[in-house]
Amino acid sequence: MLHKLLELSKQPLFRVGVLVLVLAVFSGLGYGLYTTQTTPPQPIQFPHSRHVALGIQCLYCHPGAWRQASAGLPSTQKCWGCHQQTPLTQTSVELQKLAAYAENGMSIPWVPVAMLPDFVHFNHRPHIAAGLNCENCHGEVGKMGIYENPQVLNMGWCLTCHRERTQDDPEKRIKLLDCGTCHY
Amino acid sequence: MAENTIKIPEFKAEWKEGEAGRWGMVIDTDLCTGCQACVAACAMENNIPFVGETDAAYGRSMHWLRVERFWEGEYPEVRTTDFQPVLCQQCGAAPCEPVCPVFASVHSQAEQINLQVYNRCVGTRYCANNCPYQVRVFNWRDWERPEPLNNQLNPDVTVRRRGIMEKCTFCIQRIHKAEDQAKAEGREVADGEVIPACAQVCPADAIVFGRLDDPESRVSQLAKSKRGVQLLEELGTQPRVTYLKGA
Repeated sequence: MLHKLLELSKQPLFRVGVLVLVLAVFSGLGYGLYTTQTTPPQPIQFPHSRHVALGIQCLYCHPGAWRQASAGLPSTQKCWGCHQQTPLTQTSVELQKLAAYAENGMSIPWVPVAMLPDFVHFNHRPHIAAGLNCENCHGEVGKMGIYENPQVLNMGWCLTCHRERTQDDPEKRIKLLDCGTCHY
Repeated sequence: MAENTIKIPEFKAEWKEGEAGRWGMVIDTDLCTGCQACVAACAMENNIPFVGETDAAYGRSMHWLRVERFWEGEYPEVRTTDFQPVLCQQCGAAPCEPVCPVFASVHSQAEQINLQVYNRCVGTRYCANNCPYQVRVFNWRDWERPEPLNNQLNPDVTVRRRGIMEKCTFCIQRIHKAEDQAKAEGREVADGEVIPACAQVCPADAIVFGRLDDPESRVSQLAKSKRGVQLLEELGTQPRVTYLKGA
C-alpha cells in the first residue's frame, strides 16, 4: 500500500492533483474566515457618517438602546418621514430604493452586523445606564459609511470591560462575571 | 498580579449548612390537582421541544417539570396520593456540579441557582446521571419545529442544539427582566414580582416563588410551615424547593 503510494507520488499528474487539492482546501478555509470578518452587503448603501453629520442622535433611530434589550432599527416609515421632505431623495439613485420600499409598504431587509450568537443574551439598557456611550462599543459610527464592528464581539472582550469596571465593587463583580448573567 | 494567575474556576457552591439560598419555591401538593398546566407553560416559556412518539418511547422525553403521581394499595383498592410536580431543586450543594468535566454545570454565585451553560456543554451526561431527582434532560437530536411552530419560540431563551444537557432555570430570563426593570426604576425587586411560567399558570396557586433570604417573603413564610418537606432531604443536597404535604 505504502509502496504503491510512493510510486504514485513520482507521477507529475498526481503531484499536481495533490497541490490543487491542498490549495482548494486552504483557499476554502481562507474564504470562510474572510466572510466571518467582513461586513455583509446591505440592501441600501446607508451612510451613517452623513446622518451623524446632520446632527441626528443615535437614539433617534435606535431608541430601544436606553430602555430595553434591543436597540432596534428604524421602520421604513421613520426613514421616509424625513426623506420624503428632502430634495436629495428625488435625485439620489440609492434613495430611489428607499422610495420603492416606502411606496410598497415594505420593511428594508437590513443585514444585522453587530450580531451575537443565540446563547448570548445582551441587554443595551444597563450598559447605557452605566454611563457607556454608543461609540464605546460600536466605534466612530459618525465616520463610517455602512456600519462595521470596530472589534470582534466575543466573550473575552465583554469580560475585559466587566473586570475593569468592577474592580472595587465585589458584589457587582460577582454579578457581572456570572455565567448566568448572559447565558441562559 | 492576582488577576493574571491561572485559577481553576469555582464549580461547587460555597454553601453553608442551613443557609437559605436566594431564590426558592414552595409547592403545595395538597392544592395541586395534577392538571399539567405547569408542564405545558414550562415547555412554551423555555422552548422545550416535543420529541414525538418514537423518541418518547426511548425515554427521551424532554420536560423540565414533570408531575409525579403515586398509587397506594393494590388494584382495585387504590388510593391516589397527592400529585407532586418535580423540577430542578436548584440544590445548594448540587451533585450535578462537581462531575461536569467542562464546567458547564456551574453554580451561579449571583443568583444562587444551578446553571447549565449551553455553549460549554459537550454532552457527557454525567450531570444527569448524578442527579438524584432525575430532572436533567438531554437533547438527543436537533428537534424539528416545522413552520409555523418556530414562531412560538421565546426569544429570551436559547434554542438548544443536539448533544446538550438542559434543565429548569427557575425562569432566569424572568428573574433578569424583573431585576432589570427594578434597577431601571431605582428600587428593589418586590416580593411576587418574579413569577416563573409554572407558577403563573397554576390555577390552584400551588406554586409560590420568591426570595428565600428575605424572611418576610411569601415563599420563605410558607417554607417554614410544619407541612414542609424537601425531596431526598437525607442526601444533604440543600434543595431550594419545599413541598407542603399532609394537611
